[in-house]
Amino acid sequence: MKGPVTRRDLLAKLGVTAAATLGASAAGFGVAGIARAQEKPKGTIPDKPFRIGHMTFFTGPGAVLGEPMHKGNLLAAEEINAQGGLLGKRKIEILKADEAAGLDANVKEMRRLRLSEKIDMFMGITSSGNTPALGPAAEELKLLTIFIDGCTDNLFDKAVPNPRYIFRVTNIQSADGSTCALGVAQTWPDVKKVAHIHPDYAYGRNCFEHFSIVSKKLLPKAQNVSEAWPKLFSTDFTSHITKTLGAKPDLLVTSVWGGDYISFYKQALQHGLFDKMRVATTLALGVAPHAIGKDHPEGVLAGVHANYHFSYPPGNRWPLNKTFVEKYKAKFNEYPNFQAEGAYTATHILRTAVEKANKLAGGWPDDEAIISQIEGMMIAGPGGYVYIRPDNHQGYKDAITGFSKNVPEYPFPILDPARIITIPIRNITAPPGWPKGDPTSTYTWIDQTWPTVKQA
Amino acid sequence: MDILVIHLFNALLYASVLFLIAGGLSLIYGVMRIVNLAHGNLYAFGAYVTAWVVGQALAGAHPVVLYLLLPVGAVAAALLGAILEPTLLRPFYRRAEEYQLLVTFGLLMILEDLMRFFWGPYPLTATSLFEKMGSLAIGESVYPRYNLLVIGIGVLAAAFLWAFVYKTRFGVVLRATSQDMRRASAMGVNVNRVYIQAFTIGCFMAGLGGAIVVPGQSAVLGMGVDALVLAFVVVVVGGLGSLEGALFGALIVGIVREFGVSVFPEVELAVLYLIAVIVLLVRPAGLFGRTA
Repeated sequence: MKGPVTRRDLLAKLGVTAAATLGASAAGFGVAGIARAQEKPKGTIPDKPFRIGHMTFFTGPGAVLGEPMHKGNLLAAEEINAQGGLLGKRKIEILKADEAAGLDANVKEMRRLRLSEKIDMFMGITSSGNTPALGPAAEELKLLTIFIDGCTDNLFDKAVPNPRYIFRVTNIQSADGSTCALGVAQTWPDVKKVAHIHPDYAYGRNCFEHFSIVSKKLLPKAQNVSEAWPKLFSTDFTSHITKTLGAKPDLLVTSVWGGDYISFYKQALQHGLFDKMRVATTLALGVAPHAIGKDHPEGVLAGVHANYHFSYPPGNRWPLNKTFVEKYKAKFNEYPNFQAEGAYTATHILRTAVEKANKLAGGWPDDEAIISQIEGMMIAGPGGYVYIRPDNHQGYKDAITGFSKNVPEYPFPILDPARIITIPIRNITAPPGWPKGDPTSTYTWIDQTWPTVKQA
Repeated sequence: MDILVIHLFNALLYASVLFLIAGGLSLIYGVMRIVNLAHGNLYAFGAYVTAWVVGQALAGAHPVVLYLLLPVGAVAAALLGAILEPTLLRPFYRRAEEYQLLVTFGLLMILEDLMRFFWGPYPLTATSLFEKMGSLAIGESVYPRYNLLVIGIGVLAAAFLWAFVYKTRFGVVLRATSQDMRRASAMGVNVNRVYIQAFTIGCFMAGLGGAIVVPGQSAVLGMGVDALVLAFVVVVVGGLGSLEGALFGALIVGIVREFGVSVFPEVELAVLYLIAVIVLLVRPAGLFGRTA
């Protein structure tokens, strides 16, 4: 790109679009979900159950993400088992393991699951702190693995740069901060003074860094006026809010999530924070969409991990989502979050790969054959298309964010169907072949290749 | 200026809750010489019970009823304490301290899992009490009135506790047992009864801390462990076993944290531990601790 670039040009080049979705609740098409009736498999298939070790947070505050992840896996397994199992023969059995046991214990448990429980596959993981340790362990064990989350860029940038057995399906962490910044640049280009409140761990740091680098390119006149780093899983933000108010910013950026976010917004309301500044978030509606009250202000840039909110794509346009949400709601009496969607899609990625590999060679495919089918796979999940890049085994799905809005259909706010922001994921993540960088490859890629816009 | 006043309120708010938790911990240690690691989850238990009763079970009731029911979590934590002391702790008093640590640590884990079992993994809230009181204008800023109520309860609790320990007959017995359990016993004090009473009061304080905190925040898994760690910072600063120490420790931690969040945002927790380290270096028994 040559010469001065305007913000509008750059946003258009990046494919950042805010568009109205067409009618959010059209009649269903009666689609059966991803699991359609399968053809008769080739060769003889053993009827030994297919064992998946599912490790996620079942205890502690992380369970707010772990439980839905496990439920997504359960729902997909139930669909597949209703048709007789994988290739109509091998029923999926899920063994639970608690990620809250700690890093070393998690690695040991993965080994135990593989060696003693003879699991065929490993799934799950919520924390970005765990994937960089479990990834190498899975490679060493030659254990077919699809991480659902644990979305740190570091996993495939540094910990396992040339993965063989491990994949990851949900979005990439850096996309959260970048998506949030692009949403701000598009919606509130006049922002000058920015305050930050982020949880003090890998995710919060990553959001801060990527928001900052994108904002440097698209909002060069915006300045940081305040930073606050509350501990993860803290529910008291009084001091951080006071500090933010004292700095008089016109925008607050926060990546506080889950129960933390609920406490945060309730306290921020009583401190009048939402009246005094705009607020942009990366994960506000992402964790437990139904747990946010209608007292939550409308018009907040409400992030969903740049990834999935159950209201998008709407049912009439994307029946897979409608079916998934209905089934999930019926079974668990709550709405699915990005973890549920990720685990559900991952289980169907496995099924699809097994079916394809069987078609080619017959019989039960070995791990190498399944892996070769997952590499480069493009599959339609409830949240849209997911593409598994063959070089780094990462799932790529277009990023979305939007604005909180109360609608009569739900007792909690959803993303305003009239202004969903979507961004093609290839435009905000480092491409194949880009050298590994610090703090992330995507960061150096944005820093070195995006132009800085001329700001009025 | 108004922001400065609010910073001060924040520090007092933090100190009030911390005093209730650390005060309970210190009281139990002072009388019984037990470091109750499960204490953090008695605080969480108080928070969960109040959140459940006020936020869910009776959510539609009249607001006045709900405000009166606020301490229900404290009562529940006290009852739990009254059951735990004679059944689980008493058999271990004659054993080495490691056993007590193991038992109370195990109890911490069990309580955490029980709360998850009963109330699930999602945060439990009772925010209507926090919201109904609205906010008070301070200059150009506003401040939640509920937070001022919490500060008030913290001050009242400290005053009551002081009067209780220093101005009542029971307080004399309590202090006597704390100073020399054997001699108190020889003088006719029913030590078992004093222990169960002290433990119950300690748990009541922790539960009250949880109960008053929950409307403004929420009950979440893991809150107990966090509170326990902070309570230890307070008692390390103030001196384990001393109520005055808990009060001053809580005030120091409250003020330092507020200052830390504003000035050293990247190391807000480290600042607290640094204070604890300095106190340990200079006065190993804490500011108000009795040197052995």
